[in-house]
Amino acid sequence: MPDVLVEGKDVARRFSQGGSDILALRPASFAIRSADRIALLGRSGSGKSTLVHLIAGLDAPTGGALSWPALARDSALRPTYIGIVFQAPSLIPTLSVIENVEVPLRIGGRISSPRTQAMAALEALGLASLADKVPDELSGGQAQRVALARAIALKPRLILADEPTGQLDQSIARQTVNTLLDSLEGSDTAVVVATHDPSVAERMKTTWLMDHGELRLSSEMASA
Amino acid sequence: MIRLWLKSVFAGHSGRLIGAAVGLALPVALLASLGTFVVASSESMARRAVASLPVDWQVLVGPGADPAMVIDAIGKAARYDSLQSVGYADTEGFAATTGETSQTTGPGKVLGLDADYRRIFPGQIELNLGSWDGVLAAGQTAANLHITPGDTVTIQRVGMGPVDIKIAGVVALPNADSMFQAIGVSKNLAPQAPPDNVLLTPMEQWRAIFGPQSSARPDTVRTEIHVRFDRSVLPPDPSAAFIQAQRTANSFEARVAGSAALTDNLAAQLDAVRADALYARVLFLFLGIPGVVLALLVTLAIASSGSERRRREQALLRLRGASRPQVLRLAAIEATAIGGLGVTIGLVLAVMITLGWWRLEDLRLAVPWLIPVGGIGLGFGIAASLVPAWMDATRTSISAARAEVDRQTSPLWQRLYADIAILAVGAIVFWTVARSGYEIVLAPEGVAQTSVHYEAFLAPLCLWIGAGLLWLRLSRWILGPGHSLVAALLAPFSAALAPIIAASLSRQRRRMARGVALVALAFAFATATAIFNSTYNAQSRVDAELTNGADVTLTGTTSHPAAALLSELRAIPGVADAEPMMHRFAYVGADLQDMFGINPATIGRLTTISNAYFANHDAAKSLALLAKTPDGVFVSQETVDDFQLQPGDRLNLRLQSASDHQYHVVPFRFIGIVREFPTAPKDSFLVANADYIAGQTGTEASEVVLLRTSGDTDAVAAAARKLAAAQGGTKVTTLGETQALISSSLTAVDLRGLTALELGLSVLMIAGVTGLVLALGLAERRRSFTILSALGATPRQLGAFLWGEGLFIVIGGATMGIVVGFGIAYALVALLSGVFDPPPEALSVPWLYVTVALVTALVCGSIAIVATLALSKKPDLEALRGS
Repeated sequence: MPDVLVEGKDVARRFSQGGSDILALRPASFAIRSADRIALLGRSGSGKSTLVHLIAGLDAPTGGALSWPALARDSALRPTYIGIVFQAPSLIPTLSVIENVEVPLRIGGRISSPRTQAMAALEALGLASLADKVPDELSGGQAQRVALARAIALKPRLILADEPTGQLDQSIARQTVNTLLDSLEGSDTAVVVATHDPSVAERMKTTWLMDHGELRLSSEMASA
Repeated sequence: MIRLWLKSVFAGHSGRLIGAAVGLALPVALLASLGTFVVASSESMARRAVASLPVDWQVLVGPGADPAMVIDAIGKAARYDSLQSVGYADTEGFAATTGETSQTTGPGKVLGLDADYRRIFPGQIELNLGSWDGVLAAGQTAANLHITPGDTVTIQRVGMGPVDIKIAGVVALPNADSMFQAIGVSKNLAPQAPPDNVLLTPMEQWRAIFGPQSSARPDTVRTEIHVRFDRSVLPPDPSAAFIQAQRTANSFEARVAGSAALTDNLAAQLDAVRADALYARVLFLFLGIPGVVLALLVTLAIASSGSERRRREQALLRLRGASRPQVLRLAAIEATAIGGLGVTIGLVLAVMITLGWWRLEDLRLAVPWLIPVGGIGLGFGIAASLVPAWMDATRTSISAARAEVDRQTSPLWQRLYADIAILAVGAIVFWTVARSGYEIVLAPEGVAQTSVHYEAFLAPLCLWIGAGLLWLRLSRWILGPGHSLVAALLAPFSAALAPIIAASLSRQRRRMARGVALVALAFAFATATAIFNSTYNAQSRVDAELTNGADVTLTGTTSHPAAALLSELRAIPGVADAEPMMHRFAYVGADLQDMFGINPATIGRLTTISNAYFANHDAAKSLALLAKTPDGVFVSQETVDDFQLQPGDRLNLRLQSASDHQYHVVPFRFIGIVREFPTAPKDSFLVANADYIAGQTGTEASEVVLLRTSGDTDAVAAAARKLAAAQGGTKVTTLGETQALISSSLTAVDLRGLTALELGLSVLMIAGVTGLVLALGLAERRRSFTILSALGATPRQLGAFLWGEGLFIVIGGATMGIVVGFGIAYALVALLSGVFDPPPEALSVPWLYVTVALVTALVCGSIAIVATLALSKKPDLEALRGS
């Protein structure tokens, strides 16, 4: 039985904004296991990023319980166990491509030759020729692929990608997702991709739907 | 759209706005305060210089001349506030019988004063005992006669019978030297001590008593007219005021044509402070202008601290179709808001300083300065935002405008090595000027011209500019090719992240170098000003020691030498040691010079004999040579030049003999040049062996006694005064009184005000540069720190990024700045050696101030870093979404 990497029981997130309460995530129960390929599909503003941030440990639920049974305590979740790709451009502008990829390796602190491992991650995604460039010199698609390389460099147990193709055109978007999945072929790394693009969701084995804060898992969808 | 933009600027970035405005306010306040300082100082300089002068003119009416004619001539020569006739009568002495004893004094003087005299000339007479109504006795006279108010004194007139008068009060005469100065005599004659015995009577009574004496012995009775002018007509500048005073005196003397003689106290006072006033201005040039430049650079730095963010925002606007005029208009709005707020706060601060600290009475005088400064501050603030926005809008592509990393090309000045060239020019100018000495030149008497070698300012100017550029070069090199050194320095604090941090800093080296240069400039300015001020204060004390000679100094005359009290003085509690010293006068050719007779073996016990006092810079060697050469004499450089002396040459001087009170030739041997000596005047003087002088003149009298105290100097001085009063004719001065007098000079007061402002605002600007500029710069890159935090960086690891950058700027800048500050202080002290009296042998470093500045920088920098860290620790989820 694959390890349960993340388990949520009635996990909810409420925000207070301007005097009113917003339930960004209604109580949801879910589990992410090793080697899962999950697409979190929903329109903009449906709560996908909220769920991704909760799973990554960037945010805390206001209801329910969230745990990472097969991973360490949440303080060590990132970058060792969870790699994350953000919706907005997220490369450090004053570091080169290779240095950006090295960042999580050095933050994790247990790699003897972070540069070698970073280069390996770039090569896996076909980006080795960009190693010495700075983010200003990259296209949007290249930048997101470098962000992916950064996410996979430490070989995490779980990769979370929040709208990684949101600012790319369709063909680049498809190419980016394919590159990610191809690089993880055969590994037991779980991948969760939050997207509003059904064509991206098609590439993933499992699809969860997000609609106005309500999470519907694939089993619920099947029974529905 | 403008309303929306304003709302986003004020609501969304209010903290940054206020920070930028406060940061702009400080340099504006410094700039404005420096300007109003010059206004306040100049406006009152001449008046301050003569404020303590009670009587401007003392006019002696010649024998047979009509006082009314003389008064008329005074009125035609100048507009006077008031004038009073004062009668001076010589007497053979006074006598009084009190209790069972009778006392008789030596010759004295009786003054006749009108009732209005003390109202018109306050400060001339101070009542100590009794009443103003009637005859007053000077304090020393009262002590000599043992009299108090109500006692009777017999005046022994010259050539006539005695007259009895009753004493109403006992008074002090603080300006006795001036009141009794000889009028119409050669300036080369030694100044006379005021009479020991003085009575002051109402004018009617004086006329009744001395009218007959005036007929019988007209040479013993005279009339002076004391005049006080309307000082509001004096030009503010002492040099211009001196010229005006001289012309007025010349005009009067031409009118009276020998019927009267004049002593012009006003011109003499203004003459004495001319150089002082000019030095005060020069000090502003050398010390104030770097402060002005620093203030403007800090203004630029703060105004441009948000330039990267603004550039990105403007690029986004252009991407979305905003036209260039629209983009520029929006940039101008934000810049004007910051500039307006900052300038307002700065000017309010400057007005408070002007009214409360400089005490400028009429603020309207400062308006011509405040308005342009406000305009400059606003202009700079707006330009710092608008010029880059205009350049981005007109020359840069949108994508390039969104770039955040420095381009790698070196600036032109760096490729041309302009920093090295400018430093070389500065060194050459400094060497040339310092070698020839930098003196404000006063033309000979009668020609009131002064000249300043402004070209000397090139040296510190080149040093400032060259050092600033060199800092930029060094910082860029350390962060560029030398960044592995930075990684090595960071490794103990950031372990595995050190290479990444160093790489990140390296790609921002232009911005980092500017930050280091700004911090360095602030520290250099603060350090140089503080060292100059501290050295000046130290030299003021040395000057006081040089002027007074010792902790307490008694100065008598040859007929009443202070050394007659030597054994009693040594017995005063608190006196550690006492040493007599001769103060005679000798003719060198036709020139009458002061001559000091010393015991070279013992003089150093009482007073500092500095190496700087002698041309050979070796005090011990010089004193040893004098001890070995009984007839040896040290002379001034001017005497050597006039007589073309060589060491060993015979020099014949004329000294007064005790037997016949006539001047006779006494041979001396020239053994060296003396520049300064305790109690010696600024004119040429001589130093010789006291024993030899005593043998040649027939009197061992030592006019001066120097006292070194081990306890309360004021108590020792008070006891010495009591002894001196009993003897008469002896003046007692202390080191503290002398230093207070020196500290009240125009240069001292102006330097004190200028440096207090600059030292205080320097610390604030250091705080602003290290805290505010750092915080604003770090805030620009909060997104990067948020990403690092989101990627899993611990607070410690995130801190390594922030501390690495912050400490590089603060410690790198402080180190460079303090080192260069020392160099600039050295250059300033050397170039402005004329301000110091005497010139310092070494710099005096205020380590406490330097430490305070450093601690301020570290604390403010740390606050900026800790605040940014606190804000970045928790990832900004909205930023991660791209909001």
